[in-house]
Amino acid sequence: MAGLTIEQRASLSEEEIDPAIMSKKPTAGPALHKVIMVGSGGVGKSALTLQFMYDEFVEDYEPTKADSYRKKVVLDGEEVQIDILDTAGQEDYAAIRDNYFRSGEGFLCVFSITDDESFQATQEFREQILRVKNDESIPFLLVGNKCDLSDKRKVPLSECQSRAQQWSVPYVETSAKTRENVDKVFFDLMREIRSRKTEDSKATSGRAKDRCKKRRLKCTLL
Amino acid sequence: MDFDSPEEKEFPGLYASEAADSRSKKSKEESDFSEDHDLSKKDLLIGRRKDKKDKGKDRGYAALEGESSPEEELDTKSPSKSKKSKTFKFTSSKSKEKREKSRDKERSERDVKHLEEEPSSHKAKDKKDKKDKSDKKDKKDKKGKQLSQQQQQQQEEAIAAEEVLALGYPVFGVSVSLATERSRCHDGVDLPLVVRDCIDYLQDHCKCEHIYKVEPIKARLMHYKRLYNNREHDAAVDELNLPTACSLLKLFLCELPEPVLTTDLVARFEEVASHPKVTDQEAELQQLLEQLPKCNRTLLAWVLLHFDCVIQQERHNKLNAQSLAMLLSPTLQMSHRLMVALLCHCNNLFPDVKLIKYVPPLTSANQLPDRPEEIQIELRKQDSLLAQIHSEMNAGFITKKREEQLWEVQRIITQLKRRLRSFEKKQEKSVEELESTSSAQLAAASVDVAGVSAQLAAASIAVAEDTTDSKPAAETGAASNNSIASEEPKTEELDTYPSAPDYTIDSVTGFVVLPKTNPHREELLRLQIEYQELKAWKHELKARILAERNEVYKLKQLYDLQNPKAQGSHAEPMPTEADYERVIDHYTRENALLEHKKKMLGIELKEERRACIALQVELRMHEF
Repeated sequence: MAGLTIEQRASLSEEEIDPAIMSKKPTAGPALHKVIMVGSGGVGKSALTLQFMYDEFVEDYEPTKADSYRKKVVLDGEEVQIDILDTAGQEDYAAIRDNYFRSGEGFLCVFSITDDESFQATQEFREQILRVKNDESIPFLLVGNKCDLSDKRKVPLSECQSRAQQWSVPYVETSAKTRENVDKVFFDLMREIRSRKTEDSKATSGRAKDRCKKRRLKCTLL
Repeated sequence: MDFDSPEEKEFPGLYASEAADSRSKKSKEESDFSEDHDLSKKDLLIGRRKDKKDKGKDRGYAALEGESSPEEELDTKSPSKSKKSKTFKFTSSKSKEKREKSRDKERSERDVKHLEEEPSSHKAKDKKDKKDKSDKKDKKDKKGKQLSQQQQQQQEEAIAAEEVLALGYPVFGVSVSLATERSRCHDGVDLPLVVRDCIDYLQDHCKCEHIYKVEPIKARLMHYKRLYNNREHDAAVDELNLPTACSLLKLFLCELPEPVLTTDLVARFEEVASHPKVTDQEAELQQLLEQLPKCNRTLLAWVLLHFDCVIQQERHNKLNAQSLAMLLSPTLQMSHRLMVALLCHCNNLFPDVKLIKYVPPLTSANQLPDRPEEIQIELRKQDSLLAQIHSEMNAGFITKKREEQLWEVQRIITQLKRRLRSFEKKQEKSVEELESTSSAQLAAASVDVAGVSAQLAAASIAVAEDTTDSKPAAETGAASNNSIASEEPKTEELDTYPSAPDYTIDSVTGFVVLPKTNPHREELLRLQIEYQELKAWKHELKARILAERNEVYKLKQLYDLQNPKAQGSHAEPMPTEADYERVIDHYTRENALLEHKKKMLGIELKEERRACIALQVELRMHEF
């Protein structure tokens, strides 16, 4: 009973806030950072997202096809919006994945420290992202979820860290259940995206975004 | 050469689909290629294209400014060349078109006309301003006048280029099925959006006497065509007007590569229309219509039913079937006679089609629906929209705007799903409660009733046992009711506290009433009313149980009193053993039958009651 009411409270307060956020035009609002959750099925992408968005932990597993959320947060004293796209871990939805990856500005690549296969799969996700974005230094975090289940740990910490090092990306362990490091991963990624954006705008003298690079090159050729 | 352009990379298949889709456009394309041998000229074109794209988005002046100086140089290099090629283009395209079918010719002439008119729009003014500035900078004042002419012509070409760009996946000039697929109505009606929007608009203006009589400003018409071709039309921003809606619908119909009745069947339609017997026509038309592709049939149905509405208003718009057919039969590529025949029968030919106004999928600016049925409908629309965005993106139709829309639609779907889920959870809970309450009570009541009937019919010794059995059952039923009843208000309080600290309590009913702005207001009220109704039902059932129990008690006393007498009378009217058995048989059968009937009635009663409560809730909702 108590569990239910807490959940209800969460859903009520969420719905109260959301219309206000949603009514804002995306262009008119503050800076918008687009984050994409990737990783195998059942590693806790949705759990991390929901914990970050609504402070709720969902025990029951329901595969995601694709879900998107927007939240206003204060990042180092500056009000920004974060768009989170929670993708499907299953290969079945790979066809629509590219469309989302293309528009993502930063990626949280999630695996479960209790499942070695999910860790191995991160390699493939990384490759897919690099293929779509064509950018080695795209803001990217390797996230080992379910760190509350350390007794069932299958992926040694050293292995995770060495892979992160190899990709030269940060590695963070989280728990969607205890909320450990949940805010951290999202905020760290947003900082990376932000610094990346300022870099880009400097490089292009504030005219266009990273995606235009290729096109600009072509124009000068012609 | 043109294949190196960035647009080709961004829209793979741009030119391929072009070639396949429309012949006249192809001819235009060819003429474009032929003049593109000049490299600097080509540069210009691309530069302009990019300008245009920026402009189309937000009329960004800054973006134009940024590129002005390099272009200016190019302008001065080859003013005469591009001027020449311009004239060449017109003559060439026209001479080519002469070989085309007359319909196609008409169309491209319209395009050309549009090109000539466009510079008069505000865009040209922007360009001139920009040009003047850079002129001063470059100290080429002498050439100013010449350049301004130059600019205008390039402007025209830029529009032509944009037209090409827009036609990556056009909606105009392609088959009905392709157009329908490319620009869907997301509510399940298989009609191209542009047709739906025009008909929706015109249905509201059937009485206007200018309908189908006045021509719109060509630039405006082309602007809308471009919007729909690029799927950039926003109903909230770009409201149609009457002449534009009429002409846009006509333009769509007449740009169809084949008649809406299809090339194969149109002759047979004409044949039927020339039948002398009007009565036979309908059945034959019906039969032919069934052979049409589904989306052709839908398009025809909507268009004809709309035309029918127009001629219903003849009093106001002075259009009857004859005159309307005169105006529009060429557009539909059918004879006057056939169109009159179709109009005359259209209500019988399409009994299944109703002109329903289109409500497009919501955007993030809208308030999302609260009621589960509405959420379901909206969810279906959004899903359809999302599928379309995905398929378009997979086909290479990718723009910044598209991507933004993708995220937005996805966000709305997520919100809708969450709403639906939280609602389902609540409903599940309340259904469980309702079921446990009513079934416990009904069971208790029926045990009682069974006990009574058993007593009456057989007057057996089991009576005492029955009643003792039923009592605890009734009591546990009541007990569980009590526990549920006491739990329910608790959860409701918890519900309301976090969401609305500023609620009020209705003085008459004692309901918690949320302010009108709260999305939960209706739901909460509904639940409270339902709760009250259920409570009333529970009391009623309890009272009945009590009454039955009293009856049992009374009968038991009566039985005890009459027991010796009854036993005596039992023995007397018993002539034979067979008779006795027959009577017993009869009564046991009758009792079983009655028992069954009672059960059925009990279930029916429960259902009726539930419906009653639902209606009561709706009624009382109106009080608030």
